[in-house]
Formats: sequence, structure tokens, C-alpha cells
Amino acid sequence: MLRQILAITFKDLKILFNDRGGIIILFAMPAMFILVMSTALQGVFEIGSSDRPIEILVANSDTGDLAQETIAELETLDGLVVIQTDAAAPLNRQKIEELITTGKYEVGVVFPTNFTDLILESATTPDVVQPTVTFIADPTTSTQFLAPIRGTVQGFIERTAAYSQAPAQIENRIKASFESLAQDAPPEQAEIVKEIGTAFINNFEIEQNSESGASSIVQFERVAPADYKIEKFPTSVEQNVPGYTVFGIFFIVQVLSGSILQEKQEGTFRRLLVAPLPRTALLLGKLLPYYLVNLIQVAAMFAVGRIFFGMGLGHAPLGLLLVSLGVAAAATGMGLLVTALGKTPAQISGVSTMLAITLSAIGGMMVPTFAMPEFMQTLAKISPHYWALAGYQDIIVRGLGAGDVLPEIGVLLGFSVVFFGFALWKFEFE
Amino acid sequence: MKEPYLIAKDIYKSYDDIQAVSGVSFQIPQGEVFGLLGPNGAGKTTLISILTGLFEPSQGNVVIDGEDLKQNKLHAQTKIGFVPQELALYPTLSARDNLLFYGRIYGLRGKHLRERVASVLELVDLTERANDAIDTYSGGMKRRINMAVGLLHEPELLFLDEPTVGIDSQSRNAIYESVQALNKMGMTIVYTTHYMEAAERLCHRVAIIDKGKLIALDTPQSLIRNLGGGLVLLKLHPRRFSAITEQGKQIPAVKDITQQDGKLVIHAYQVQHALVGILEIASKIGARIKAVEVLEPNLEAVFLQMTGKKLRNN
Repeated sequence: MLRQILAITFKDLKILFNDRGGIIILFAMPAMFILVMSTALQGVFEIGSSDRPIEILVANSDTGDLAQETIAELETLDGLVVIQTDAAAPLNRQKIEELITTGKYEVGVVFPTNFTDLILESATTPDVVQPTVTFIADPTTSTQFLAPIRGTVQGFIERTAAYSQAPAQIENRIKASFESLAQDAPPEQAEIVKEIGTAFINNFEIEQNSESGASSIVQFERVAPADYKIEKFPTSVEQNVPGYTVFGIFFIVQVLSGSILQEKQEGTFRRLLVAPLPRTALLLGKLLPYYLVNLIQVAAMFAVGRIFFGMGLGHAPLGLLLVSLGVAAAATGMGLLVTALGKTPAQISGVSTMLAITLSAIGGMMVPTFAMPEFMQTLAKISPHYWALAGYQDIIVRGLGAGDVLPEIGVLLGFSVVFFGFALWKFEFE
Repeated sequence: MKEPYLIAKDIYKSYDDIQAVSGVSFQIPQGEVFGLLGPNGAGKTTLISILTGLFEPSQGNVVIDGEDLKQNKLHAQTKIGFVPQELALYPTLSARDNLLFYGRIYGLRGKHLRERVASVLELVDLTERANDAIDTYSGGMKRRINMAVGLLHEPELLFLDEPTVGIDSQSRNAIYESVQALNKMGMTIVYTTHYMEAAERLCHRVAIIDKGKLIALDTPQSLIRNLGGGLVLLKLHPRRFSAITEQGKQIPAVKDITQQDGKLVIHAYQVQHALVGILEIASKIGARIKAVEVLEPNLEAVFLQMTGKKLRNN
């Protein structure tokens, strides 16, 4: 029986690789997406609108007022919602990391305890340590999404810091100037010059639009939640390749179901059924080559990312393999299901394409799920694409291990069981 | 009669409301070429599918070489070769790759497999084109490879389902000769066709199937002999049918007169005498004959007599 399964497998692989159209669908298309879209989409992501604002978590540990002033400024922005509490309790760094790790939010900002003190101190003391504002973001959050948010928040922080330092800096300069004048003045006038200087400082109104080297007032750092084991933040390629790979994997549905239907129509299936070949072997033989092609697809797409863009693959090759085995099982299962339900080439082609595109879109292959409306984020979980992408991103982008992706693998295998079960129930050999 | 190699016992098969095969029974001895004759839709392909184990009958059973097909299907199928009506080949693969693949499915391996592939390629005279893709072949060449696949594992029982459909006379003759050669080597063959020429030339016995029922089973010679001298088909106004039938039956050369599809069918012992007598009656009563068709005594005429239908019209 094994020999028969392998005979069917090799035959189908040979036919498949003779079919240039099939190869284009399975390999060239996702590769094109990776090469072109990864490059083209950089920097064009549009962040929040007033209809669907971006939510940003903020933990304010500052004992002074400047962080709160910055937050108040941020709250005035359209398209940005500042969240400072969870279950009525003020957020802290640990809570922000927890909320990001669980996938409820994408990005948070932490103001340090001495934020105000250090800014004010640095206005008069040149070598004082600059305060560090920390951006915490899920590593899978695309740069296109995060960069504008970070730029906006960073701009507000620097402006507030600059405003707060300006009076002290100007006062110091004026005071220094009048003291210099007082030293050069006759002794009887020196005291009067100082008094004029003090009166001038007291009546001086600071222009609030002044700039004073704001970029060096505050330091910014981007970190991932502590549970993630990443050494560097992912590139756009590392974020995009898994998505396009999953997108390509599910095009096997069309190729597999088309192949079985063609065998039925051309009579080869009937001929095989008359041969001393168990039906299980026939089905396994038909499915195995497409399962293998899926695994080759994954290897090829990741190789494209690695070779052309230096993409990292995380630290858990076993995890990558397990996710790949799971997603390939779900895709071939879906292929068999479409075969069982489709009666004509047009039906199969239409349903396959519709599923490939729709489930990709729902599952976050085209638009990140966090940027979708809430009901769509819930709906995403009915798509095997979503779980496959989550599994790949956990390993490649979040730096997690094989044990961490077991839930995703479990869900993918669950999809496979459902697809195969329903397909075998409905499948007609004759 | 030799021991039956294939026994079909009271076979029924229905799909939804359609009774595709209805109570068919026969036995085929080893070494016989057995013809299944019937128009398209008569139930031949369904019956073949049941005999080869593709379908399970709704009722009845099939025994091949003493083995019940239902109980020992996979083993019984090793003895069966099947050449379907469709060109059941992989068009983008070469003839050799097709044969190697099917050979492996039948459990052939290594040197034996390669030898069998070479042997059947030689048998169908396509050794020189063996490495060309099937979709570059002519219709006749495809048919020959289609047949070669069925012979790869040297089956004892070969099913040929309309193996000559859509090919030129030269290729058809080549297939007829192959069938005769295989039968001489002792192979039992079930040959499904709606070409009477093939049935008469190749088959030791012929079963005529119509509407899922076995309506006749005998040697072609006996079936034709029972028909008599042939058939005369008359097209005339139906109101003249009764008069001509009544008077025509008095003619010694006429065996019987029936009505089928708006025509009078004269079953004749001697066609020429029967036709002259009928035309005289028609003239006498003033009946205008619109058309006359004479069928020589052959299986086509037998089929028409038994079913009221022509084989090829279907």
C-alpha cells in the first residue's frame, strides 16, 4: 500500500511540476507579493482616524507635571485614544506589557518617575542624565503602523519638555548677562544693574514657540514586552513574509481540488478504483504530494526572505516545522473539502479563489488584524490563516519557542480534522 | 462448457429513482470473449462497473475465479484488467511514465515492471513514441496506450469498455487483432460495444442489454439465425398498419409483423419474397409507402427486433 501511495505521489508531483500555471500560482505569486509588496508598502500605512482611532496605553510614573501635560496634549488629538487605566486601576509598565502580550493592545508609552525633574534639571545643569521614555510594542506591530504613532507621541513629549526648559534657560542667560554688566559697571551702579536685570527677568514673558535643542532633552527607547525573547525588532520583511507565505499556501486548495476533479472527469480516478488499490491509499496518495508542495512552498518563501532580505527565522526551527505541518494539513484538508463539495471546474475554481482571498483578508494577511474593526478581529479567528500567521510570527517575530506555538498548532490541526472529516463524509469516489 | 470464470448473479443497481441494472445474471467461462451489446444508456457501463468492483450492486453478487468480489475485492481485482471508455491517461506524462505509474499501482516493480512496459508498448506498436507526452498522440494511438495499461499486469480477465470509440478503421482493426491475439493466449474478455461489427467478429457470445435488463444471450450466429432472413421496415400512414399487418402475415415468407417507432417491421424468412408480397398488398389497398429499409440478418437487426431501437442511433 505504501508503494502505491508513493507511486501516486510521485506521479502527481511530476504532473504538477509539468504545469507551469500551477507553479506560478503556488510559488511565483507569493514570492512576487513578498518582493514587491514588502518594498512598496513601507511607509504608506495610514494610521488612525476619528472613526477608528488608535488606542495607546500610557503609564505615568512621573512625580512632576510634565508627563501629565504631555498626556493632556495627546488626548486632544483626533484618531488617538489615550488609555491610562485598566479596570479603574492606573496602568504601570508591567500591566502594559501584559495587555500587549495578550494581544488586546499594540503599543504603550511609559513615562519614568523622574521625568519632570530630569528635564527641569537639565535646563540648568548641562551634564544631567536625560529622562528615557519607553515605547512598548508587540514586535509584530508593523513599522508602517508604529512609526507615525511614535513620531506623533515623541513630538509632543519633546515640545512639552522644550517649553518647560525654556524659561529657566532664558532666565539664566539674562541673569548672566546683567551680572556681567554689573561687573563692568562702576561700583556704585553695579547693584542697580543687578536690580534692573531681576526686574527684567520677572517681567519677561516666555515665547512658547521657542525651540531649544529639544531632540536632546528626552531619550526614547522601543522595547517588546518582557515575555518575548527578541534580540532586535523585526524588519518589514520578517513581518510580511509569513503572511504572504500563508496566503500562498492556501492556493493549494485550487490546485488539489482541480487535480482530483480532473482525474474524475478524465476517467483515471475510475481506472484507479478498479485497480487493487485501497481507497484510503488512493486518497492519501492524492493528498500527500500537495502536502509536500506546501512544505516546499514554506521553505522556498522563507528562503526568498532570507536570501534577498536577510530575514531572521527566530530560534525555534522545530516550532517553524510544526506550524508548517499544521498549516499544510489545514490547507490540504480544505482542498479535499472543496473537492467533495464542488461538482464542476468552475465551482471549484470559484470557491477556491474566494476562500483563498477572503480567508486571507479576514485572517490578517492583507491588513493587520489590530487595524480591523473589533468584530472583524473576532471574525479573524475563524480563518486558519490567522492561526498560521500567529504561529509563524510568534517564532520569527516574537522570538518564542516551539512550546509557545502549541495552541496555534492545535487550532490548525483542529481545522484539519474538521475539514477532513466533513470532506470524507461528503466525498464521492464514484 | 468450461468452469465459469465470472458469475454475475441477479445483479440490480439503482441510483435514486433510476433502475440502471435490473436482475442481470450470466456466467462467462474461462477463455471466452463475451460481448455486452447495447445502446448508450442501456446500463452496460454500470454493469461493467459492478463486475470490476467499482460499484457495489444494490442486490446480487459477482464471483471472479471462485472469489466473491464483495468479500475479496482487492485480491479479485488483481486478476482484472480494465480498459475504460475514457482515455484514462495522464496527458502531460509520456506513455512510458503512464505505464510505469499504473504498473506500480498493480504491484509491479523493478526489472519486471520495465519488461512489462516494454512488452505492452511492443504489443500496441508504440515503442518508438514511448517517451512522448500522451497529448502529442493521435486518437488511435491514445486508444492503444489506453489498452496497453489494462494489459500491463497480465490479467486473466480483461474488461474492454467501448475500446474503439472515435478512432479510424485502421486503429480499430489493430485493436480487434489484439483482442483476438489475447484471447488465443487464454485471456477471458468482456467486450462492451455498440458496434455490431466488433461483436460479430470478436465475441463467442453476446448479451444484449436494454434499459438495464438482459434481453438476449447467445452466440451471434444463433441470435442472427433466430432472426430469420432479415427485417423490412416500412414507413406509411399508421391507419394502414392494421390492414397490411393482417394480410401480410398470410405471406409465407413473412415470419411476423410488428410496429415500432411509427414503422411497420416485417420479420422475414426470406426478405425479397416478403417485400414483394407486402408491396402488392399496399398497392391493392391504396396505401402509399413513404420509405422502405431492408436490414440484412445481423446483430443490428437482432437488436432492432428485440428492442425496437437501432444501436447506433442511440
